Amino acid sequence: MSKADKGEVIVDLEDVSMIYRRTRHRVSSLKQTAIDSIKRRISYENFYALDGITLQVKRGETLAVIGRNGAGKSTLLKVVARVLPPVEGRVIVRGSVAPMIELGAGFNPELTGVENIMLYGALLGRPQKELNERIEPIAQWAGLTEHLDVPLRAYSSGMVARLAFATATDTVPDLLLIDEVLSVGDEDFQERSKERTIELMNSGCAVVLVTHDLKAVSELSDRAVYLETGKVKAAGKPDTVIEKYLSDVHH
Amino acid sequence: MKIYDSSVKQTPIISQIKVVYQSRSLLKILIARDLTVRYKRSVIGIWWSLLNPIVTTIVLFYVFNTVFRARMPDGTSFLPYLLSGVLIITFFSQGLTAAADSIASSSGILTKVYVRPEIFAFSATISSAINFCIGLIPLTAVLLISGKYPGLKSPLVLVVIFCMIMLTTGLGLLVAIAYINFDDSRSLIQIVLLMLTYMTPVFYPISVLGPNTLEVIKLNPLTSVLIVFRNVFGGNGGTGINMWLYMIGTSTITLLIGLFVFNRMWPKVVAKI
Repeated sequence: MSKADKGEVIVDLEDVSMIYRRTRHRVSSLKQTAIDSIKRRISYENFYALDGITLQVKRGETLAVIGRNGAGKSTLLKVVARVLPPVEGRVIVRGSVAPMIELGAGFNPELTGVENIMLYGALLGRPQKELNERIEPIAQWAGLTEHLDVPLRAYSSGMVARLAFATATDTVPDLLLIDEVLSVGDEDFQERSKERTIELMNSGCAVVLVTHDLKAVSELSDRAVYLETGKVKAAGKPDTVIEKYLSDVHH
Repeated sequence: MKIYDSSVKQTPIISQIKVVYQSRSLLKILIARDLTVRYKRSVIGIWWSLLNPIVTTIVLFYVFNTVFRARMPDGTSFLPYLLSGVLIITFFSQGLTAAADSIASSSGILTKVYVRPEIFAFSATISSAINFCIGLIPLTAVLLISGKYPGLKSPLVLVVIFCMIMLTTGLGLLVAIAYINFDDSRSLIQIVLLMLTYMTPVFYPISVLGPNTLEVIKLNPLTSVLIVFRNVFGGNGGTGINMWLYMIGTSTITLLIGLFVFNRMWPKVVAKI
């Protein structure tokens, strides 16, 4: 990746809305739904998870997304990760996307370390040949070279976290999605994982960071967006946006 | 560089099948995972997959042959008849629930990483197909004991397997949506599976059925699958071209409906999780 690439728009959201119909009373049983629909008690409402969001993230830039629970942060991540197609508006994402999700999601306790690296890598869309060569370095970073042929259920939770983190951060994507800054394991691991995350963020990819950790936002991001009920309430310099957010929260 | 543009509309079904085909290497890894997880740490390994159908067959054989002293008309040997039925039913119910489960239990990753969930469903049903193939070994043994043999038509079993994969995947995708949306759908599906088992001529010959019952039983796609399977593998009874057409037609249509409905429902499911 050359410096000339900097400034290229990686994520481009144009007036994106996510609207879905939901029942007023949350029902999750077939029996209840059947009874309600016979009695015509089901009423629906249109719910705007995102409401006319326009934003861009350029290469080399870190955008932080803050807001209260239910403000639309995770929906925004799903739209950018192309898991959820927008109901209105347009989403363009250029290049490869790597999400840093809860450590170990997609891992299987019955499989060995190597098998899990291959499975997780394949889920992220990485070719098998490339992965075969990366097993050594991944294991080394995680400090698990001697445990690779053991099923994961024999690992401690710290070992699983290290392996998951090492696998997830092994490649430099064009777009990195981070849902909550990772804080697991012992202090040494936290230190090293934070270091590696920052290294990855500075390696020329675009980053979307969703977090409640306002200190991390002001330290790590170049720009911030404050979401409230699916709308952008404030956007711009991280410290200004945080200030606005805090004054609303303490209102 | 890959560019994702949400305004480029994807044709449902065609784009879904294309993605599954393009993700062959992921599919392979998922199938290996399914098989490894199921057998790796069990003492009898892959033969574990045979335990369920064989025990079921032995129990049913004892009940009908010894307790009720039932005899098949036209001198068909009961044991291979029974085992072939149990193998098809096991393939179906195991594949269906595994396909739905693999999507429902992977929602953590499927809502965050761009992977088409259909690949998970196909991997589950193909794993069940592999189990079914292993089951053909004891079936061959039972045929030989009964003085029969699989026969020249047996390679046509591949068509049966292909149709079963389409049928179970299509239904598995629909059941996956139900599993995620409704907590109580699992027990309902178990009841439906049990009913389907009795509506398939697993342990009774269709010649004992009255005309009205026969019409209902013949509507069940599994009936046509089973009749064709018994014919090509072991040479039991005759099948008209109609049975073949019905088997291929219903399984293809089921897969298409499953893909289409899943494509429409999945975004709504993801939005809520």
